[in-house]
Amino acid sequence: MDSNKKYWKGLEELNQTPAFVEKSKGEFAESVPVEDVLNEAGLSTRTPRRDFLKALGFGLGAVTLAACNRTPVHKAMPYVIKPEEITPGIPNFYASSFKGQSILVRTREGRPISVEPNPNSVGLNQGIDAVAVTSVLDLYDMSKLQNPQIGGKDVQWSKLDNTVIGALDKAAAAGKQITIVSTTVNSPSTLASIARFAAKYPATNHVQVDPISYSGLIEANKNSFGKAVVPTYNFENAQVVVSVAADFLGSWLEGEEQTQDYTKNRDYKSLKGGKMSRHIQFESGLSLTGANADVRIAIRPSEEGAVLISLYNAITGQSIAGGTINAKAKTAIALVAKELVNAKGAAVVVAGANDVYIQSLVNAINTQLGAYGAIIDLDNYSKQYQGSDVAFQKFLTDAKAGQVGVAFFLNSNPAYNYFKAEDVKAAIAKIDFTVSLSDRDDETAILTKAIAPVPTYLESWGDGSSKEGLVTIVQPTINPVFDTRQPEKSFLVWSGDSATDIYDFVKENWEANILAGTGKTWKDVLQTGYIYKGSNTGSAYSANVDVNAVAAAIVNDAKKVTADVELKLYESTVMRDGRYANNAYLQELPDPVSKVTWDNYAAINPIFAEQLGLGENSKVKIEANGYAIELPVLLQPGQTMGTVSVALGYGRTNVGKAGNNVGQNAYPFLTLVNGTLQFASKATVSKLSETYELAQTQTHNTIEGRNIIRETTFAKYLKDPNSESGRFADSHKTYDLWNKFDQPGHKWVMAIDLNACTGCGSCIVACNVENNIPVVGRDEVRRRREMHWLRIDRYYTIIEDGKDYTKEKEIKHLKDFEDVTVVNQPMLCQHCDHAPCETVCPVLATVHSSEGLNHMAYNRCFGTRYCANNCPYKVRRFNWFNYWNDSRFDNYLNNEFTHLLLNPDVTSRSRGVMEKCSMCIQRIQAGKLKAKMEDRKLKDGDVQMACQAACSANAIIFGDANDPESEVSKAIRNERVYYVLEEINVQPNIGYMTKVRNTFEA
Amino acid sequence: MSSHNESILREPLMTGKDITYAKITDDILLPVENKPNKAWWIGFIVALCGAMLWVVSVGYTFWTGIGAWGLNKTVGWAWDITDFVWWVGIGHAGTLISAVLLLFRQNWRNSINRSAEAMTIFAVICAATYVVAHMGRPWLAYWIFPLPNQFGSLWVNFNSPLVWDAFAISTYFTVSLVFWYCGLLPDIASVRDRATGLKQKIYGVLSFGWSGSVKTWQRFEIVSLILAGISTPLVLSVHTIVSMDFATSVIPGWHTTIFPPYFVAGAIFSGFAMVQTLLLILRKVLNFENYITMFHIESMNKIIMTTGSIVGIAYLTELFIAWYSGSEYEMYAFENRIAGPYAWAYWAMMTCNVISPQLFWFKKIRTSITISWVLSIVVNIGMWFERFVIIVTSLHRDYLPSSWAMFYPTWVDVGIFVGSIGLFFTLFLLFIRFLPSIAIAEVKLLLKSSSLQHKTKLVQEGAFPEDQVEYFRKSLEKYDSVSEEDIKALHKK
Repeated sequence: MDSNKKYWKGLEELNQTPAFVEKSKGEFAESVPVEDVLNEAGLSTRTPRRDFLKALGFGLGAVTLAACNRTPVHKAMPYVIKPEEITPGIPNFYASSFKGQSILVRTREGRPISVEPNPNSVGLNQGIDAVAVTSVLDLYDMSKLQNPQIGGKDVQWSKLDNTVIGALDKAAAAGKQITIVSTTVNSPSTLASIARFAAKYPATNHVQVDPISYSGLIEANKNSFGKAVVPTYNFENAQVVVSVAADFLGSWLEGEEQTQDYTKNRDYKSLKGGKMSRHIQFESGLSLTGANADVRIAIRPSEEGAVLISLYNAITGQSIAGGTINAKAKTAIALVAKELVNAKGAAVVVAGANDVYIQSLVNAINTQLGAYGAIIDLDNYSKQYQGSDVAFQKFLTDAKAGQVGVAFFLNSNPAYNYFKAEDVKAAIAKIDFTVSLSDRDDETAILTKAIAPVPTYLESWGDGSSKEGLVTIVQPTINPVFDTRQPEKSFLVWSGDSATDIYDFVKENWEANILAGTGKTWKDVLQTGYIYKGSNTGSAYSANVDVNAVAAAIVNDAKKVTADVELKLYESTVMRDGRYANNAYLQELPDPVSKVTWDNYAAINPIFAEQLGLGENSKVKIEANGYAIELPVLLQPGQTMGTVSVALGYGRTNVGKAGNNVGQNAYPFLTLVNGTLQFASKATVSKLSETYELAQTQTHNTIEGRNIIRETTFAKYLKDPNSESGRFADSHKTYDLWNKFDQPGHKWVMAIDLNACTGCGSCIVACNVENNIPVVGRDEVRRRREMHWLRIDRYYTIIEDGKDYTKEKEIKHLKDFEDVTVVNQPMLCQHCDHAPCETVCPVLATVHSSEGLNHMAYNRCFGTRYCANNCPYKVRRFNWFNYWNDSRFDNYLNNEFTHLLLNPDVTSRSRGVMEKCSMCIQRIQAGKLKAKMEDRKLKDGDVQMACQAACSANAIIFGDANDPESEVSKAIRNERVYYVLEEINVQPNIGYMTKVRNTFEA
Repeated sequence: MSSHNESILREPLMTGKDITYAKITDDILLPVENKPNKAWWIGFIVALCGAMLWVVSVGYTFWTGIGAWGLNKTVGWAWDITDFVWWVGIGHAGTLISAVLLLFRQNWRNSINRSAEAMTIFAVICAATYVVAHMGRPWLAYWIFPLPNQFGSLWVNFNSPLVWDAFAISTYFTVSLVFWYCGLLPDIASVRDRATGLKQKIYGVLSFGWSGSVKTWQRFEIVSLILAGISTPLVLSVHTIVSMDFATSVIPGWHTTIFPPYFVAGAIFSGFAMVQTLLLILRKVLNFENYITMFHIESMNKIIMTTGSIVGIAYLTELFIAWYSGSEYEMYAFENRIAGPYAWAYWAMMTCNVISPQLFWFKKIRTSITISWVLSIVVNIGMWFERFVIIVTSLHRDYLPSSWAMFYPTWVDVGIFVGSIGLFFTLFLLFIRFLPSIAIAEVKLLLKSSSLQHKTKLVQEGAFPEDQVEYFRKSLEKYDSVSEEDIKALHKK
């Protein structure tokens, strides 16, 4: 039913008063002064308080509502489809190789985090050098090129390829040469791809040139034996080794592999068998090898030839003119010649000079000694250095004459490391089209028209062959991170084959050329990492040398170097040829001898420096061959008087933010004599007024007569293996304030063989990489704040008139610093059972474990530094700043990409906390877990320390002392073992074995 | 108190004529009840600038990390702990004066104990700032205390001397503060009673309702004695424990059993020197010559000389023991102090601490205000070097020569030290502006027993034989606040 009721709002409506009628016309009962407000006058009026509050209220409400949006959540994405081989938290190892050395790459969740030796490999298999260890950082280097470039601008690969192919076709049409300039290429697949390329462009010429040249050695072998190769040296078969300026444990040829072989005749196992080789070194600068020699004679670079002539005479009884007149050298030669002859077949002489004549003379000597075969292997020769100085000279001449149409620079940087960089620049300018295949826009790449960036080996398929018969695989452990392409692929594309996948190419090449006839499959190789087809030893060779003519040439050439000041250039053990200069780990790895980081320097004998008016922190200008550089002075005991040594590999200008302008480039000092690069020359040295402080990790160089180093001679050792080890103190009664605790499970200890350790330093960087130890940079090292958990203490003993001096106050008065002996002592947390650091920590941030380890709880530490003060070994390191996230220490780690390098098993430490060697606790845990999963006891060798794994000398032995059969238990029972500072009864758990020197009997 | 008369052979502890209880109150409250003069303002502004420098330096350290200092892997403590021990040592005089001298009834302490105690408190505050500032993660400083685990921290290591330190310093600070404040109560009440308005209210609250009744005074005396009893062992314990930071370690040059007594003597030595530095200025600027007399100055100089000699013997003993021990590390540590790269610091220490206080054997020197003041500063420079020598030269060359390193301070190290001196003086200047810097009530006790005025009266009454009076007259010659006329008045009337 419809309702006809009516409701009024008021009487006005009922009565329909005129006023009501008027009002009801509008939407609002009261008129809203919209017009008034929006006209100009209205807008310019002051906002009334109430309006302001309303607007404020609305604004606040609106903003509050808007802010109620959830904050973005960064989720760690689990795998949607988990790759079968990946278990989060468990590392995967892949066989690969670095510079032809078989290695294992450890990856975690798809990212490579460290490199370890391949224990089953041929050649170097119980250690790894510093460059290989740190190579993993190069993957995460932000200074690398991320895209191909033409003329300095990023382009697509297709554009680059079209341009390159166009240039190649043009050159081919014009009949010009196409040259590939590279460092030594021993990779079969790279060579195969170059061969494919050469098939398409027959004018292709492959020039190999190495910055550190071994042309002289190759040429000499060609002349002596008709084999233009660098032989392989098997030092394990040598009982007497004489080296004339060859740093064979460091940078000469395969230093790390040679160290492995060399120490087999000198380490505790060899000594236990009553055997130790004798090593005599003649050299001018104190090298890593010289530091380990039993007898070291300081000679001038110009004397190297003369010493060898004398040695030849002494061995053969001939009297060829030109022998040395150096009295010390003469005495030593007379003694050593006898030794060499007596040890025929187990004696070898090596020389470092890159000179045809000197190496020919050495060949003659080695023939006399019967070294060819067992020691010097010309059959399974080394393929690491095949560069030819002559070939590169010819390329430069041709290029400057305009005969080269296209040049490729493959991993080659002559604009930096060729001694006449101007010639290289002039040559490049004359070449129609140049392409650099390098990973960064280096000194040469910035001169080229196009850059085809290459990935690191960790992103590549490939292979290597460090010696004849040995071929190793390179397999990628991650997809290429940047838009890079392997050079092999590039050569294939440029030869018109863009379809072949690089994986297929490498695999097919292996199957067709390498695996054929071996019965092995591609899969086998991926697992083992290498294949070896060579023989165990080489066959005997006899050198065909006209010794008289060679000696005459040597005498003649020596005159070119003889001067008041002779400059010796050397390849530094750490920085090598300068290729890896942007690797911050390497830059901060102290030089094994001088302990200098982040610089090269002029090494001068302290007495000679005094004569020149130089002292600590002095700076000098060195001039030679029309080139001059200014360098800080390092007072180097052992350096020959009248000589200056300068390391190559520094002074890069286009390598990246860590390596740019570190040190000075010494390559321009090289000279070309007899067609080979020479590393010594006349020089003048003048003092500069300014000073410069080198960043050294150790500034006091002697032991001050303390028994922290105990050394003996081999003769004494044979009489009494306890000699000088202080073990007679075993009966010494010690008293204890502390309760004894049982250590029923494991008891982790270490033994370090001072006789095996050469001091190379790969353990230091291995520890850095494993434990996320920050690089702090030159200034912080100067302030003595490097963070290395493991360091190698190097002590000199200065010998004058047959007496040893180690005390500062006596050394001050000495007048001869040429004769020194050196000891290297790896020093790390000793995990003392009565750790003085533990008692003083107010908050128990550092405590002992039942397995004998000294733990450090970072998040409990509030940084009083009392523990570090109270550590007698000074192995504790404090985080003075937030090194990983502070722009002042931006060496490498201050970006998210490089953070991927960090080992996820190890906490990265913040500012204000103490850290130190943890005995790779993460590795111990992983080993224990693995044993538990496999339901077995932990075996000796299941757990390896990072430093131990990197040590090619087997100087570090780690294991469980509660297992009487473990290698370490046997090692610490060795008569030579002593404990550093055992008299203060902190009960350290790292035993050191006495240093034994096989010196001449007096 | 006035029941017996003090011997005339004792030198007066208060000089001046017509001194009444009211005059004492007036004299001492002069700086508190009036606007500060120019000298105060200048001093205050300079000190405040220093305190600002401290804020900047400490702030910078907190912001960037301990790396702002010159420390390194070998030398983990340097200026921070040197300054810490220096300030704690300075703090020692206050407790010794207020507690030990009270128990031994040495009345001359009455006029210097107040400012000496204030100095103690401010010095301990300065020292405590280093305890926090030297930490790598100072925001976790509370972890040093054994708080229940629910609080988020874990139990502490009672083996660590740093934990003992935290207890020693905090106990010392608390007891000193309470002792000082209890002593202040009657004097604050005096200020209250003379003040008006807001000032009266504030001092009223601060005086804790002091009524001045006999019962109040009795309790006051008892509390003072009890607190003195509690404080006395602290005089020995605090620096003993500080010394154990070093003595319990294994570092040659630190690991020394002589440290506890040697540190305590050194602390009293430096504390008295600092009291001397402050009071010599205080008595001049605030016209307290009649209350802090030459007798006080000379007595303190004697203590400085004695403790300086103890310290000197300790240094020589250390050298002897280093040689006698036959330990090559110990011998080297001391050889290195004497002739190593920091030998200049060692010899600066030797000169300032051992040789300079020996000058006080001469009466002329120990009664000369200028020389006393200069030597008091020299002593504290020496004591700073002592701690620097102990800490830095022991650490920088310890067991393994490979780690030997030098320490070079940065501007932040210097800034924090200079700044802490500024902080100290800021607090001290505020103290003399707002609180009576001499214990009024205790000084009043001396008026009718040990004052020159009282003794003159007794002499004039003929209470003493002439030969004793003559001795007394002679002893007054050194007083700068006693005139010829005063001496002449010492005759029987």
